[in-house]
Amino acid sequence: MPPRQQDSIFMDVDSDSDVSILGDGDGDYSRTKGKGKGKATDKRKKDKGKAKAKDQAYTWEASYTRSWDTVQEDEAGSLQGAVEDWMARGRRRRLLAPAAAIRRTIIRHLILLLDLSASMMDRDMRPTRFDLSLQYAREFITEWFDQNPLGQIGVVGMRAGIGERIGEMSGNPQDVLKSIADRHKLEPTGEPSLQNAIEMARSSMSHLPTHSSREILVIFGSLTTCDPGNIHDTLDACVKNKIRISVVALAAEMKICRELCDKTGGQFGVAMNEGHFKDILFESVPPPAQRAVSRAAGPGTANPAADLMMMGFPTRLPDTSPPSLCVCHSEMKSEGFLCPRCMAKVCDVPTDCDICGLMIVSSPHLARSYHHLFPVKPYQAVSSLEDMPDPATGCHACARIFPTTPSTAAATEGMSPLGRYRCTDCHNDFCTDCDVFVHDVIHCCPGCGK
Amino acid sequence: MEKASHLSVIVDLSPTQWHLSAQADNQYPLSIQTFLSQLLAFLNAHIASQHENTLAVFGALPGKSVMLYSSTEVLADDAAAPDANSYPPFKAVDSTVVQRMMYEFDAFKDVEEEAPCALVGALAKALCYINRITHPSTSPGGAAEDPSILPDPRILILSVSPDLSSSYIPIMNSIFSAQKLKVTIDVCKIYGPDTVFLQQAAHLTNGSYIYLERRDALLQYLIMSFLSPPAIRKVLAVPKQDKIDFRAACFCHKNIVDVGFVCSVCLSIFCQPVPVCSTCRTKFPIKTLQRLNASRPSLAPTSSRNTLPLANLNNATPRPTPPRNVNGGTPGLR
Repeated sequence: MPPRQQDSIFMDVDSDSDVSILGDGDGDYSRTKGKGKGKATDKRKKDKGKAKAKDQAYTWEASYTRSWDTVQEDEAGSLQGAVEDWMARGRRRRLLAPAAAIRRTIIRHLILLLDLSASMMDRDMRPTRFDLSLQYAREFITEWFDQNPLGQIGVVGMRAGIGERIGEMSGNPQDVLKSIADRHKLEPTGEPSLQNAIEMARSSMSHLPTHSSREILVIFGSLTTCDPGNIHDTLDACVKNKIRISVVALAAEMKICRELCDKTGGQFGVAMNEGHFKDILFESVPPPAQRAVSRAAGPGTANPAADLMMMGFPTRLPDTSPPSLCVCHSEMKSEGFLCPRCMAKVCDVPTDCDICGLMIVSSPHLARSYHHLFPVKPYQAVSSLEDMPDPATGCHACARIFPTTPSTAAATEGMSPLGRYRCTDCHNDFCTDCDVFVHDVIHCCPGCGK
Repeated sequence: MEKASHLSVIVDLSPTQWHLSAQADNQYPLSIQTFLSQLLAFLNAHIASQHENTLAVFGALPGKSVMLYSSTEVLADDAAAPDANSYPPFKAVDSTVVQRMMYEFDAFKDVEEEAPCALVGALAKALCYINRITHPSTSPGGAAEDPSILPDPRILILSVSPDLSSSYIPIMNSIFSAQKLKVTIDVCKIYGPDTVFLQQAAHLTNGSYIYLERRDALLQYLIMSFLSPPAIRKVLAVPKQDKIDFRAACFCHKNIVDVGFVCSVCLSIFCQPVPVCSTCRTKFPIKTLQRLNASRPSLAPTSSRNTLPLANLNNATPRPTPPRNVNGGTPGLR
């Protein structure tokens, strides 16, 4: 067979890698160091061929990557340099993200498509791909509802050539977690069928309003798919329904998976190891950016994705109120929330009232999504103290003392050798830990208070 | 009690509010000197409860926030003369806090209009500090902490100022990060109207919110409600606020609404269907407006809804509700 130029496509798979693919060993080492996070060894037998594509035609002709060399200890025997380098990569990834607020769809509906075929019992990820996928799916669901309280998740499985509905679309994380809790009901067998599963997901989302985003996230572990018809018809139907498909592949890249993602605007990733698998999976947690609406209909037309929704704000009943039946479980309880329209008692918010159908949310749930709309500006790395008359000795937020001498570690892009990062608005310096904490958790600068 | 406990105190030092609090025409005037002496006694009590307890004090001043004291840092200007009559750890805390406060007060400039109190900046700093001590990274010079004795952190906010509408989003973000770090936020409202944001903060993090009736008995309130760490609170109950108003205020008239109309793009709340969102200027389709106008429930007169619908079952005497329009425009919630 003629040598295929597949390597260049193959290397674009790792979408979160920022290092340019150089043909030398350094780029290779630093890349796997960024991905490893503890599990640095590559369990795959075939080499992914990251660095050597330009020299050799076939990937197996390249020498294997010695990933244990990537983690370097300094002379004191500590791994601090490796940890800081990993954090620098995280910072750089964030710097590439847009600093201005972009329009995102906050109301989301996601269908999680789990591959339950025989290839998931492969043991290349400990203990099996299936167990690891279930565990990560649970963590993903918890984190997703934490970041998107107004969203809903449904679960569909691909098993024995058909699509199975494992969990109905629900806004309650406990319900979703309960549907995938029973491991024996989900025992993998048979062949996967992408088309059947995607058709099932698509039809269950067809009735949803246009202002919410419809997404499908596929965890795919096999290299084949048995479809009854032409999967490209399904793909066209998904594009017409504005469904975004993202795929996390555990085995290798398949052209049809790549096409599903590209045509619908989703993300495609192949997991190299357990840590990388979790990273790609969690990339779908933040709300997606809204696609640009074509202005063909002329100015003044309404944005089809924007809509006005009626929501109710409940009153909370304390524990001391007299017990009564709730409408969701018919259990006798004291505490609960009262629907403002029909005064029915529901157990937990956010939910849709079972009696009158009104969406009930409390204002903290709406506030949880505000940080996507008003993000914090990234901090600038301070490279030298020359143009500063009176530098602060400690971090403005946690009062950790800055090192006075620049660190001798190689100054990669985005990292400050002095460990200082400055806010562009209030001009205060912060340490590395606070920089990561402010941008990932608090979303509010301690200096400016915005 | 084997575990150490960490306490971060955030003191609201807004000069105008303290001046108003000390006026003699209040029912129970409290000047800042009396307040400070009682606060220092409380801080000493916390340190005395257990040797491993750690403390951090932050001050929220108009326009900026500073760290006044922290038990892990040794501040350079700490040289307290050894005094044979006082217990050294207490003296260290007392002198550092008072000295730093005096320094900040002296640095006040005379300005026309006082900048709003930076309570949210102090709250973010306290969270960054707690993050640093509970998750020590491999930093040069950082002592390795024993992971089995992680402190049980809590934050106490002593507030005298009213709600600031522009700080709604940062306060909600801080509350969510406090939930993630498992930090309890307690609030003691010494003077001023009820702050709904801080009520929510206390409720969402399982803390306690107290509105002082008798300001001259401040120390008693502090020791009874805020001295016990969260682990002890299962046994020694602290008074909490049960009736939290989770309803939102509409962006257009600042009315409290039960049923609101929410823009799906920017999540701003309106009391009636509007054709264009005022925040993000998105136009809404006509069909939606017609449908919503038809299905809008005919509400009972809203005046009856604005009063407290449920009797306050915890307090025996109802507290006089402050006028509701004191707070300025607040996005999302009063």
